[in-house]
Amino acid sequence: MRFRAWSQSRQPPSDTRVLTQRNVYILPTRAGLMFAVTLAVLLVASLNYQLNLGYVLTFLLAGSGIVSLHITHSTLRGLTLHLRPVAPVFAGDAALLECVLTSPDRDRFGIGLNVISGDSRNLSWANVSRGGQSQTTVSFVPEERGLHPLPAIRVETRFPFGLFCAWTFWRPASHLLAYPRPEPNPPALPVARPVPGGGLEQRATATGETEGVRTYQRGDALKLVLWKKAAKTLESGGELVSRDTRVAVHRQLQLDWALCPGLADEQRLQRLTAWVLAAERSAADYALELPGVSIASARGEPHRRRCLEALALWK
Amino acid sequence: MELTAPRRLPRWFRWPGWRHLPRETRDTLFLIGVIGWTVIPHVAHLPLWCSALTAAVLIWRALLAVRQAALPGRWVVLLVLGAAIVLTLWSYQTLLGKAPGITMAVTLMALKTLELRARRDAFVVFFLGFFLVLTHFLYSQSLLVAAAMLVSVWGLLTALVLAHMPAGQPSLRQAGLLSARTALLGAPIMLLLFVLFPRIGPLWGVPHDGTSSTGLSLRMSMGSVAEVALDDSIALRVRFDGVAPRPQDMYFRGPVLGRFDGTEWRPLPATFATPGLTPRRAPGEVRPLGPEVRYEMTLEPLRLSLLPLLEATPRAPQVEGIQVLVQDDLQAVTDRPILQRLRFHAEAHTAYAHGPQRFNSSLFDSLALPAGFNPRTLAWARALRAESRYTNADAGTLARALLQHIRSAGFSYTLSPGEYPGPDTIDQFWLDRRAGFCEHFAAAFVVLMRALDIPARVVTGYQGTDPMPVDGYYIVRQSSAHAWAEYWQEGSGWQRADPTAAVAPERIERSRNLLPAPSLMAGALSSLSPELLARLREGWETMNNRWNQWVLGYSRGAQFDLLRNLGMQTPGWEDLVLLLVASLSGLAAFAALWAWRDRNVVDPWTRQMEKVRAALRSAGLPCAAHEAPRALALRVQARFGDAAQGLTALLLAIEAQRYGREARSRPHDALTRQFVAQARNMAQAAMSATR
Repeated sequence: MRFRAWSQSRQPPSDTRVLTQRNVYILPTRAGLMFAVTLAVLLVASLNYQLNLGYVLTFLLAGSGIVSLHITHSTLRGLTLHLRPVAPVFAGDAALLECVLTSPDRDRFGIGLNVISGDSRNLSWANVSRGGQSQTTVSFVPEERGLHPLPAIRVETRFPFGLFCAWTFWRPASHLLAYPRPEPNPPALPVARPVPGGGLEQRATATGETEGVRTYQRGDALKLVLWKKAAKTLESGGELVSRDTRVAVHRQLQLDWALCPGLADEQRLQRLTAWVLAAERSAADYALELPGVSIASARGEPHRRRCLEALALWK
Repeated sequence: MELTAPRRLPRWFRWPGWRHLPRETRDTLFLIGVIGWTVIPHVAHLPLWCSALTAAVLIWRALLAVRQAALPGRWVVLLVLGAAIVLTLWSYQTLLGKAPGITMAVTLMALKTLELRARRDAFVVFFLGFFLVLTHFLYSQSLLVAAAMLVSVWGLLTALVLAHMPAGQPSLRQAGLLSARTALLGAPIMLLLFVLFPRIGPLWGVPHDGTSSTGLSLRMSMGSVAEVALDDSIALRVRFDGVAPRPQDMYFRGPVLGRFDGTEWRPLPATFATPGLTPRRAPGEVRPLGPEVRYEMTLEPLRLSLLPLLEATPRAPQVEGIQVLVQDDLQAVTDRPILQRLRFHAEAHTAYAHGPQRFNSSLFDSLALPAGFNPRTLAWARALRAESRYTNADAGTLARALLQHIRSAGFSYTLSPGEYPGPDTIDQFWLDRRAGFCEHFAAAFVVLMRALDIPARVVTGYQGTDPMPVDGYYIVRQSSAHAWAEYWQEGSGWQRADPTAAVAPERIERSRNLLPAPSLMAGALSSLSPELLARLREGWETMNNRWNQWVLGYSRGAQFDLLRNLGMQTPGWEDLVLLLVASLSGLAAFAALWAWRDRNVVDPWTRQMEKVRAALRSAGLPCAAHEAPRALALRVQARFGDAAQGLTALLLAIEAQRYGREARSRPHDALTRQFVAQARNMAQAAMSATR
């Protein structure tokens, strides 16, 4: 732990990192120690039985082991790590950190990445071919809403023989925005108020004044089909026709901090988050009103993101 | 065509094709194959149950892998392991020692494949595998075994590499190449360690099991040499400085058997008070009658405490780690059995005399005959002595008379004379059947000489070599094992008499023994082209000899020779260690240097732009890393105006080199230098202008 803190303090966080001699560490693994013991046994047997071929075997393995130390280290050395921009997630959901590994000079195998948080030992593995790139994803679950610095990522390899483990810590500079966790079963949306002078909206399912006729589309209700007219058009080789309706209703939701009384702040935020998602689904305009923050009524992806960001960063 | 595929395969066995196997199945099958390859050469040494169990477990595991079924529970494995331990105890009555140890290692290895769950289990298999590879060398270190085990090690390393390539579907070929490359890169380290690692003796005594190997023996009873004569393996190789002696002079002296109890010949009482070297007998003395022959001998493990030196070698050769003494019967005895291959130099006189010139008490032992044995032979001898021309004859005359009798009385030389049932074996041979091989002739000759009151003894050893030297080395095979006789002659000492030469002179002079029955393959080859077979055999033996000389024969002596060649006067093992440490440090420094160089390798274009930016900065134009040459050119133009026309032109040239139609792979260094120089000039001009 202290080593990790020290090694992390040695370099500023950065979204792109070139691994060099200075930041790649290497130690024998438990298997490496076992290998050393095996070599000792082989050597003693060769000594005792005076087996020259035994020496050859022992020294061949020892030589390969030493070379593997070098190969393990050079699997990381010279590798470029780059983090793609991280998409915001809801707290409690896994954020996917897409790391791009670039190897300018050689084929590299068996590079494992994982996020240092908790005790997750699940590595995601990647091979990088010479002069190529490869992408691998590690996940990280933010428990709280807000803007989180990304956790350090541990990059390790044991290639080729697993006798040594080379590793490095990489602290990306990006931050992860975590929206509040949406309330699992939120109460129904507050009643929408029709707003005069709103834009018109075309709806296929709502009933209303017939404005015109159009060709039948899959999903049109049977009662909307103009059967008489359809019989004619079908006769002349056309298609079914159905009524086209327009709803001149414009509904606006006011998602207000004050609408969820008696809840703690975080729970209010969670409910508002759930409402924002529901309102976006119901295709109504919605405005968000938080203490100190007020977002005018609108609709669509940018608006949704603005609202969620406001919820994530409130206070 | 697909219809012809067998459809009735049982459901559990459907081979999806090697390429379509899931990765894990393929890796497991590969590992099982490697394990099988490693174990198979042991089958000859293993008890039948162990081979069967191992095969069954490996096949079971392979089927589980193909079906991708679950591995058996731990208790199944433990049960089988328990059974294996019981069976090992039943086979060997112990779990310790070489053979039971190997049996257990093979069984464990096979069983471990049944619980390949974690990475740790895989490592156990690999390390057991390396250990098993070593155990093969306990039985043989031949070239073939070495080649087979090299394949094993390669396979194990490849499996290890595969286990550490968790991503994707690497091909076996790729993993094999990677492991081979690693091993090849490690070869210099191996070579260095092999050459320089001090060869110290065994750390503790190693138990040897009583498995007898054919070769010379300290006992001779009728029939024992026949077994040896059928063994075509190599006993020793000898290389002569200068001219090789004639084939009929190539006697290699082994045990001298002076005591006969009626059935068995043995050496005269022990000449060494074990364990130290305190000879009770006087050292041997040789009166040379001819020139000295210098030779180098490579001796295979003989398992006896003696060296079969060329007759007669008066001075004990220097052999590392072993004390040698040439006794008064010219046997070169050692202080411990020869259990490893030895190489040494010695000098011999093939024409020589030795032994006391006057009769003395030491000769009494060589006159003794067991009472009550072979009465008819003794009577025959008395009758010979009674003939008037032999009454006062000397030993040489009598020996010649006996040899003449062998030549003329219908004796025949055969390797399968049949059994001579006791007790009067010499009677039956000498008077009735008259068929036998060297030991029958030698034993009968000695008994007769003793019956004639002449001291005599049997000498065993090797006689003759392969006719043509291979790579300068004459090969002596176990089939050249021989027995001859020596009798004592007043005035000149011990004389060699080879009664076998009297009956089968070609056995001695052609010095090529009866060939063993050729194998099927060799038989087919030799009927096609005897010359090719001979050439193949010769080539193989040359290679084998080099292998023996350079790899297996590499010993402490050779290490010290190497140090002497490097200019050290009195090399010791400390020098070896120093040299080893120094060379390994050198290698490590080299590797570190390489890694360091690696670190400083920067893309040449990046380096060029760094220089360009540095030059511009020093000229007073700060610029950022992302700015391309053209952008820089625009800024230079804006900042310095027409004064910087040269610089802008150069920047555009740099851009053209990198991105233009030319698209060079490396920047032109002259261009960079020109740019830097110009920028410096401009900076200086600006400086002087402001001043």
